Parts: sequence; C-alpha cells; structure tokens
Amino acid sequence: MARFIAVRLITAVCLLFALSMITFLVYATIPIEPAGFLVDLQHAKPAQIAAAHRALGFDHSIYYRYWVYISHLVRGDFGVSWTSLGIGYDGQIHGLPVRGMVLDAAGVTGSVILGGAVVLILIAVPLALVSARVPRSILDRAVVAVSLIGISTHPLVIGLVLQSLFSVHWRIFQGGYCDLTGTTPPPLNTHFITQQVNPCHGPVDWASHLILPWITFALFFVALYMRVLRARLLETLNTHYIRTARAKGAGEARVLVRHALPNVIAPTIVMLAMDAGTAIGISIYIEVVYGLQGIGHLVLTALSGERGFDLPLILGVMFISATAIIALNALADVIARLIDPRITSISRAGAGGVRSGLA
Amino acid sequence: MRAWRALRADRMLFASAIAAVLLVGSITFGPPILSAIVGHSSDTPFPYATDPITRKPVGPLTKVWDTTTEYTDDSGYIRKPPPKGTPKTWLIAGADGTLGRDELLRLLEGGRTSLEVAVGGTIVAMAIGVLLGTIGGFLGGFIASAISRATEFVMAFPLLLLVIAIGSQSHNGVDDITLGFLPRGVFSLIMLIGLFTWFYPARIIHTQVAELRNRDFVEAAVMIGAKDVRILRTHVLPHVLPTAIVYTTLLIPVNVLLEAGITFLGVGIKLPTPSWGNLLSAVWGSVLNPQYTSTALRSQVWLTLLPSLMIFITVFTFNQLGEGLREAFDPESRQ
Repeated sequence: MARFIAVRLITAVCLLFALSMITFLVYATIPIEPAGFLVDLQHAKPAQIAAAHRALGFDHSIYYRYWVYISHLVRGDFGVSWTSLGIGYDGQIHGLPVRGMVLDAAGVTGSVILGGAVVLILIAVPLALVSARVPRSILDRAVVAVSLIGISTHPLVIGLVLQSLFSVHWRIFQGGYCDLTGTTPPPLNTHFITQQVNPCHGPVDWASHLILPWITFALFFVALYMRVLRARLLETLNTHYIRTARAKGAGEARVLVRHALPNVIAPTIVMLAMDAGTAIGISIYIEVVYGLQGIGHLVLTALSGERGFDLPLILGVMFISATAIIALNALADVIARLIDPRITSISRAGAGGVRSGLA
Repeated sequence: MRAWRALRADRMLFASAIAAVLLVGSITFGPPILSAIVGHSSDTPFPYATDPITRKPVGPLTKVWDTTTEYTDDSGYIRKPPPKGTPKTWLIAGADGTLGRDELLRLLEGGRTSLEVAVGGTIVAMAIGVLLGTIGGFLGGFIASAISRATEFVMAFPLLLLVIAIGSQSHNGVDDITLGFLPRGVFSLIMLIGLFTWFYPARIIHTQVAELRNRDFVEAAVMIGAKDVRILRTHVLPHVLPTAIVYTTLLIPVNVLLEAGITFLGVGIKLPTPSWGNLLSAVWGSVLNPQYTSTALRSQVWLTLLPSLMIFITVFTFNQLGEGLREAFDPESRQ
C-alpha cells in the first residue's frame, strides 16, 4: 500500500510538471504584446517598449522564461498579474501577486463546489434509497424523470431560473457572495465592474447566499449520481448478507441504511473526487450566472482585458486548478484502492460517467 | 436485426429515435424550406419587427411589414408605415433582437451550427478514443501504460478553463477553415472539443478491449495463428462497436451543452453565425432584472426561453436515445 501511494504521488508530481510545461508552451506560442501593460503602445518609443519587455522578462528565449517561471513556481511565487501592473512612487514596477488573487478566487469556487457536493449527496442518497426500495414503481419513475430534466437543462438556464424565482421574484435568498473569513479580495484593475465582497454575518448568512449556487451545482450531477447509486444499491440488495440481515429480522429501514448504504457511500466519494475537473467547469457557469468572483470569473477577466490577456494570471489559475484536480484524482485512486485492493487505476471506469466530457 | 427488434419493442427508445430524426431533419432541411415559404433569410433585418422607440422585438406569431428599409417622416426621427402595397410576413417565433431578424430561422440555423459542433467534436473524440483505447487494451504492456498516462494527463486539465483560454486566442487562421460547408469558427471549436474530450471513450474502450483480449475466443484465434489485424477486425471490433455507438450518442448532448456554454462565455461561435449559445446569451439577464436592462431588450423572455428549450429538447432526446441504445445492446443493464 505504501508503495502504491508513493508511486501515485510521484506520478502526480510528474503530471503536474508536464502540465505546467505544456500550458506554458501553449500560451507562449500565442503572439502577445505584453509591453502594452506598462507603456502606451501608440505613443511609446521602441526603447521604451524594449525596456518594458526587459522589466517583464520578455527579452529572453522561451526556454529561459520557462526556467524562470518554474523556478519561481516551486518556491510558491506565481508572479504578478499584468493587468494590475503599475509604476509606483519609488520608480519600481508593482503588481498584485497572482497567488493571492487565485487563492482568493479558489476559495469562492471551492465553497461552491464543496457545498454543492454536500447538497448533491443530501439529495441523491435519499432519492436513490427511495427509488431502489421499489424499482419500477411510480415513485421511482418520477424521481428518474425529475433527475433527467436536471441533467438535460443547461446549468446556466437552471441558475437563471432559480435566481429569477427565489432571488428576484420571491426574494427568499440573496444573490451575490459574502466572505466568511472577512477578508476582501482587492478589486481587479480591469473594465469589469467588480463589486466589493462584503463580509458575512455568520455562517447562516454565508449559506443563504450560496444555497442557490449549491442547488444549481447539485441538480446538474444528481441524475448521474442517483443512477449510479441506485444501480449499486439494487446490486447490493441482492447479495447474501442483505438476505441474512433480513432473515435475522432487521427492519427494511435498518437493512437499507445500516447494511446497504455503507457499501454505496464509499464508491460515491471516490466518484466525487474523480469529477473534480467537471465540477470546476460547472462552477464557471455558476459563477457567471450568480456573479460570484471565483476562478472562472478570474479567467474570463484575464482573457478579456483591453490590453491583451494576462499570462501570469492564466498560468496561475491553470496550475492551481490542475493541482487540485490531480490531487483529488490521486486521492480517489488511493481511497478506491483502500476500499477494494483489486481495483487498478484504469479499470476504475468512471467518474460521473460520460458527463466528464462537459468540463 | 436484434437492435431493430429492440427498437420496436422499447417505446421510449422508439420515441426518442423518432424525435432525434425529426430534430435533425428540421434543423437540416427546415431553414431552406422555411425561408422559401416565408420569403426571407435568417439575416434579413425587419425594422418594423421592433418597437420604433425602444427597439424591443416583437413576440411570437406576429405579422410585420416585409421590408428591410425603415420609412420616416420629414424630420427623419419618427417612423411611419411603409408605402401602400408593401406585403406582410409572418415571424413565427418573433424577432431576435434590435435588428428584428426572424427568430425561428435563427433558432433552426443556430441548431445546425450547434449540432455541427457537437457531432463533429464527438466524431473527433470518438476517433481518437476508439483508436487509442483499442491499441492500448489490445497490446497491453508498455504501450497501454503510456496511453493510460496520456489519458490521465488530458483528464487533469481543467477542460472548460483550458478551452476558454485557448478558444479566445485561436481566431486567426483556424477559424477560417470551413471545409466548404461549415460556418466560420465551427471547425476550430470542433477540434478544440474533440482534442480535450477523447479520454472518456478511450478509457471505456480500453477496459472493454483489455477484457476481450483475455476471453477464450480471442485466445483461440491467437492460438491458430491469426494476425493481430484480423483478430481486431473479426473478434474485437464487433464487440466494441455497440459501446462506441452508445457513447457517440451520449457524447453529443454533452457537447451540445458544452458548445452552448463556451459560446455563451464569449469564446466559441462568433456572431453573425447563429448558434444556440449566442442566441441564449443575446438578452441574458433581462429576465432577472427587467427594470434595469436597456429598454431595447426589456422583458423579452422569449429570447432566452426558446434557445433554452431547444437545448433542453436536444439534450434530452439524445440522452434518452443513448440510454435506450445501451439497454438494447446490453439487456442485462436494464433495471
């Protein structure tokens, strides 16, 4: 087991390294003029542009730039965001560090995804229990039908409908986002309107701001998870030990919750971890609909700046989200192995099924 | 033949197959037939289909003056009706926005764009996925683990983030590739989607082929000295084909949603080419706060509702078709 974990860890680090290289090279091939972030390109003299390039480290070859990038990266330095660049009173170039920006945004995205995953389990497990209890009943079919509507509607549309009903029309839940920790991310220096994030009045306030995004998130995945959970439950209910439990006089509720459910929960957690990539994708839609300032918002802002795109910011977002995905995938592998030692990495067909394609 | 019997036996599958045919048919043949009947194309602007002051588009089932010029009085500011004898035309789903184009025609043509992206992206992903999955599963050993690593590598990318980031920068040369029949930008989106979604079919096919590889009939074929290519063609591929068909059907709705999302975020298909993504984003948000958005777009819920509905119908149909096919090919999975 220790060997498996070690191998998995080394693979993960190698993957991460390769990924950082590929993303860097991909973006380096896109022609951009970073000097525009420091000087006015229409009036600047060539010498000023050259000086700007030198200040941004753009006068070196791409390989050297990658070396500089990666050697800063291993020390946890993601560079500064180009859009925020400015020359201070001391004549030096200053900018917002990418790391802080991405981590703040990742906090928003992370709270959407984690809360959404909890809501997902809270919805999917009872529904699966109900529909596995009496397969092919009217109740079962109704549950399946509702979840099919959830999976066939675009998350953007689900978000819009929920928001216009609960937030605008009935005014039950507030829109926007409030920060639980009380620190506010600095507004970005772009043409996007950035609202100041207001601190929360406690966890309940925080949850009431985020409940609609969580439900939107959960509705997208619920059909899939319910289908998998239901299939696994039906399979488990046919096993001998369930029959034994029934024979010993256990009530139906006890059989389902105490005997069948634990066998189903663990694989579900593995599935959740495997779906991290999809979850980040879905959370971009959710951030757009609900106006949350997560990493999706950060990337869209970084791409749509008037002066070109903000390379360090995009690389930072890519790297941090890839780290999260790779770490969760590795964790899923390890948990899956702990649950069932026969499982190998490739036979774990899975993760949310074909929907993984979505993000 | 077995599949056909299953198709007839399963009402849901039969219904979704018919719905899919109708959908694809109306999207492919609808626009030319419809524009021949109503006499205008999806790009014809009708100034009289919008409010003279706020430019709010008319709703569904409206008859408007069939003219692309707007007549004004002497001051040049106040609109007056066109000269006598100007015919009228039907806008069945209303007008699409301030320009007053035919929303129904744009929906159908947008559907064509969206389905082209979805089907194209699926074909690219399945081609790569089936190829790599079959090779990896059949040969095993070093090649298999190399392919598995590559699969994991692609999986590790935050797909949507990457597609947005690359897609927003790739408009220069790639967008102009049309292969003679695709609208601008479709090809690059197809490649982008295809190149980042092949890992799922690859994993499925890999697992299945690796399983088949150890079955007795394949062992027997190896033993009598059959060549790899022959074993693959006569013994392995027939078993893989149903899986491939099912996942092709299931990837299409995923890619319809993906196209709509990417285009909605401003990266995919660019106007004036209609697609469900940019039709959806056209008046986005006016549903949420009708009193604040610009008066031109005030409360035209139709323009958000109709594309949402089209996306929903398409995704639902293809999902049901895929699930039905899965059950038809593998009756044991039915529960």
